[in-house]
Amino acid sequence: MPITLVNPLDETHRPPSAAAPRLESLAGKTIGLLDISKPGGNVFLDHLERLLKQRYGVADVVRAMKPTFTKPAPDSVIAKFIDAKCDAVIEALAD
Amino acid sequence: MLETGDQAPSFSLARIDGEKFTITSGSQSRSRLLVFFETDCPTCRLAIPYINHLSRELGKAGDILGISQDPEQPTRELIAEAPIEFAVALDSDLSVTRLYDPVAVPTLFLIGTDGRVVHTLNGFDKRALNEIATAMAGKPLMIAEPFDGSPETKYGCVSRDLEGDVSGEIAETANPYAKRSARASRIELDDSVDPFDYCMQFGDPLPIVPPTVERVEKMLEACALPPDEVIALIPPNYGAATIEKIAANAVMAGCKPEMMRVLVPLVRAVCDERFNIHGVQATTHFAAPLVMVNGPIRRELGFASASNVFSNVARANSTLGRALQLILTNLGGARPGEIDMSTLGNAGKFSYCIAENEEENPWAPLHVEMGFKQEQSTVTLFAGESPHGVSEHMAREGTQILKAISRALATVWSYRLCAGVEAIVVLCPEHVKTLHRDGFIKQAVREFLFENTGIPLRHFDDGAGEGSQYTKLYKQATIDGEPCYLKFQDASAIKIIVAGGTAGKFSAVIGSWAAGPRGSQMVTYPIAD
Repeated sequence: MPITLVNPLDETHRPPSAAAPRLESLAGKTIGLLDISKPGGNVFLDHLERLLKQRYGVADVVRAMKPTFTKPAPDSVIAKFIDAKCDAVIEALAD
Repeated sequence: MLETGDQAPSFSLARIDGEKFTITSGSQSRSRLLVFFETDCPTCRLAIPYINHLSRELGKAGDILGISQDPEQPTRELIAEAPIEFAVALDSDLSVTRLYDPVAVPTLFLIGTDGRVVHTLNGFDKRALNEIATAMAGKPLMIAEPFDGSPETKYGCVSRDLEGDVSGEIAETANPYAKRSARASRIELDDSVDPFDYCMQFGDPLPIVPPTVERVEKMLEACALPPDEVIALIPPNYGAATIEKIAANAVMAGCKPEMMRVLVPLVRAVCDERFNIHGVQATTHFAAPLVMVNGPIRRELGFASASNVFSNVARANSTLGRALQLILTNLGGARPGEIDMSTLGNAGKFSYCIAENEEENPWAPLHVEMGFKQEQSTVTLFAGESPHGVSEHMAREGTQILKAISRALATVWSYRLCAGVEAIVVLCPEHVKTLHRDGFIKQAVREFLFENTGIPLRHFDDGAGEGSQYTKLYKQATIDGEPCYLKFQDASAIKIIVAGGTAGKFSAVIGSWAAGPRGSQMVTYPIAD
């Protein structure tokens, strides 16, 4: 006998959103680096910052840190990148 | 949130009794107290009798306004039920809430005669309540006695206007006054498909009960709420947990229909911001939500609290814990191997649910410590590792038992990590008996464990490692003549519950995930009758 099930999975409607346009080059750009506040994150990001400036000609690097890695970044942290008019942001996880 | 010294913004609200309440800018004829609250917040309910007390003490001179963030009907119900003896107004559009911006409820703002904020209190705190009472009375006034059976402090619930603080694509489902979502879709299976095989995609890797329309309907009949009501949005994907979706997952887990009574507050609790299920689901750590059940519901629904309490002993424990996990993975999206990339995982991710053995507990059970009445059933959630056993059969004295437990507590998270971590101590009835005989009360047990759990300083001599980077934050003490760092920041980091069978001197400790406001905090929610 055929049976009817109630779908137990998430069916929340989510309209698709487009990915941000990609940068042609990093030269002269402002890049945000987000430290999620895990141990060692600063070591990794310091190195990344040097590479971005020396090898790729990045004009400016803006650093911000989440208050805790256990929760999503609060608006105030994201606002720092927006206020600095970052062209792109790199989020770093470390341990 | 407004702080002490800030100018109180002017507003005018109609009180529920028809009178007008106005705060004008600048100087006031007398000081006034604003109390922001929600009708379903346990901390607000805890605070109300104390504010009633203040209102009686101040008589006519007292100008207290309760500001409800909820609609008229639940507010009127709370006024009658609590009861609330001071004036109340409705902040229907949350406009006054936004002006004063409390981050949680209850929040109290005392506005002085100069029109500035003199005192603020967020959550429940007896000392701060007494300070506010004294400031309003103009003489020492104690409205909240210590050790009166209520906790000294208790965190509040998130303010209504911040509850749905999500942006973007799911913003429309986050409006707390539009708690409706679409009904679940139906899946037709013909005879060629084995429903058990088909349903293997719906949960943990063990077979589940197919959530047929008929079975789900029985669950819905046992619940007074409409099927399309959204109880919470489950992180990290923020899928809408409607009553119907909760019911379908409960059927799959093998729950009886009456378990809906527990599941609804449990889903609310797991999505309480303080618990931070977002992080618990996404971490590589061992943590899984441990459900602890208290009160008469244990007997009513058959929760096991005695021997084998952590095992496959009772349908109620096993199915409630499993239903929670299915809801988290199916609606929250934290599937193992996808968002949930836990390094070693936890057997509790099949089901992790115990009940307190209140009958063998000579002290206040967990929910009473959290501010609930003994006869109020509750669910408590703790983000924990697997239990770590402490066998102690030789000890004749309570202190020896606690020493053995403290040595297990020292290993929680990582031996040399002494901050940002908590633990549950599950005391078995035989150990409790000895402790009680020796005159220990629960708080004395907690303090003994706090004071005697330490890591000798010399263990930090063998080089850097996890925990050694934070030693500046650690408290030092001498334990048995040895200079040590105390394992925990505060005695309250140690939570105590009594569980297990009456034979065997085996207790257990359960380490936390990252604890406190930067990680996960234990939450307790009442279960409605």
